[in-house]
Amino acid sequence: MGAAVEVSNLVKQYKRAEKRAVDDISFKVGEGEFFAFLGPNGAGKTTTISILTTTLSKTSGEVKIAGLDAATQAKEVRKNVGIIFQQPSLDENLTAEENIRLHACLYGMYPYRPLYSLMPKEYKRQVLELAEIVGMRDELFRSVKKLSGGMKRKFEIIRSLIHTPRILFLDEPTQGLDAVARRDLWNYINNVRKDKGTTVFLTTHYLDEAENVDNVCIINKGKIAISATPCELRKRGQNLEDAYIEIVKGGLLND
Amino acid sequence: MTKIGHEWNAVLTIAMRGVTLTIKTPMRLIMSLIMPIMMMGMLGGSLGQNMADGLGFDFGKFMLVGMIVNMLFMMTMMGMTGLVEDRQVDFTQEMLISPISRVSIVIGQILGAGFAAVICTVGTLIVGACMGIVLTGWQMLFLLILAPLMCLAAGSLAMLFIGSIQDAKTANMAVSFLTMPQMFLAGAIIPIANSTGILWALSRMMPMTYCIDLARAVVYKGTAEYAEVVLFNPLINCTAIIVLTVAFLLLGTWLYSKSETNR
Repeated sequence: MGAAVEVSNLVKQYKRAEKRAVDDISFKVGEGEFFAFLGPNGAGKTTTISILTTTLSKTSGEVKIAGLDAATQAKEVRKNVGIIFQQPSLDENLTAEENIRLHACLYGMYPYRPLYSLMPKEYKRQVLELAEIVGMRDELFRSVKKLSGGMKRKFEIIRSLIHTPRILFLDEPTQGLDAVARRDLWNYINNVRKDKGTTVFLTTHYLDEAENVDNVCIINKGKIAISATPCELRKRGQNLEDAYIEIVKGGLLND
Repeated sequence: MTKIGHEWNAVLTIAMRGVTLTIKTPMRLIMSLIMPIMMMGMLGGSLGQNMADGLGFDFGKFMLVGMIVNMLFMMTMMGMTGLVEDRQVDFTQEMLISPISRVSIVIGQILGAGFAAVICTVGTLIVGACMGIVLTGWQMLFLLILAPLMCLAAGSLAMLFIGSIQDAKTANMAVSFLTMPQMFLAGAIIPIANSTGILWALSRMMPMTYCIDLARAVVYKGTAEYAEVVLFNPLINCTAIIVLTVAFLLLGTWLYSKSETNR
């Protein structure tokens, strides 16, 4: 299995920061793998994802995404990745469909047309199909402003997947969602993984979401605390959450 | 889609987002029409009544052309602050993660902002007509053809100043500081043929000077007033506009891109 994500000795030090946000970390994520990147607030998860998705420059180290160098082949890397950001990034002044159309056209999938009715048939089919899957067909043409947090998240997922990325980065994707919305969302992502073989790189604070991943990497204070399978981690506690708390607290005590 | 086709599609997509936002926000449209009443009707009208005597040419038409270009610049530059606002609502991430050039993002934003600017120009023409100052159909058509180039010049200049600004309020202030002195220094409503020293140097550094002069060259072509009103050969104007626009666009985009990734 080839590596979808390959990180070697990655370092990030923000300007005017005394400490490194990411401190010499290395890990690999295989093609088609479901990978969880866990850690407490401020551990360096979002910084790492930002570097992997080319929206933030690294201080040193090497990052390869789908075999491409994230620093020198950024545009090619961006073609291969989809991301659901920690903070919602839909344009609230547009409708959900307009947001999706904007994304699809920026990725060069379809020529831009000012109205949905003028877009190619294939686009309409794809959007309606995705909206149907997540149960949001009726909301497709509503202003994003009028949608609930869960609805917005679902549309962000549709948007991030419409260009069928090889690697999907999910930065705390279920933050603020109710239990039903969370479950729907995971059902959909799991189906995408099964159907398309998409590599999923997840960060989350809900550890139950990481129970079924292939590999877990825990980062604490910018350093990798442990890399293991959930099964290996569970041996340290009753479940993944116990093991996680033990590792993170241990890390804090060691400071 | 070819590489160039993809970039053009991205420019169009981002520009049309600006157009959609303008259409969906009635206040923006209203402001685009109110601005000319304030700028052309009040400021221009007052100057015309009190200072136009003895100029040797029709001040009304001189001011109308200057004000049209000024409104294009002002509205486009104000629209460019949308890039900074997008940063604050996290929409910038969506554009920056796309596999497109940063220059395409900026050009798209400029053209989108230019839409409101062109509406403003229509408002300026209407206010001008109410004041008895009219342009011919051909003159208006030529100005409309030149409008995208002028919007690009304005947006590029704005990028130079707001490219590295992270806060929308600061960006709005920066644009305000730029637009007001520019109106006087570039000769939008006051002739600058006799400017000297630092004012002369500043006027020559501003792309709006050449845009206004090019617009006046179009409007005054073949008239006796041409030599008194137009400062430079239109070729010099075009060269200066293109050189300054490309330089400011590349530098501004580089600052914008750097400030996003190089934190």
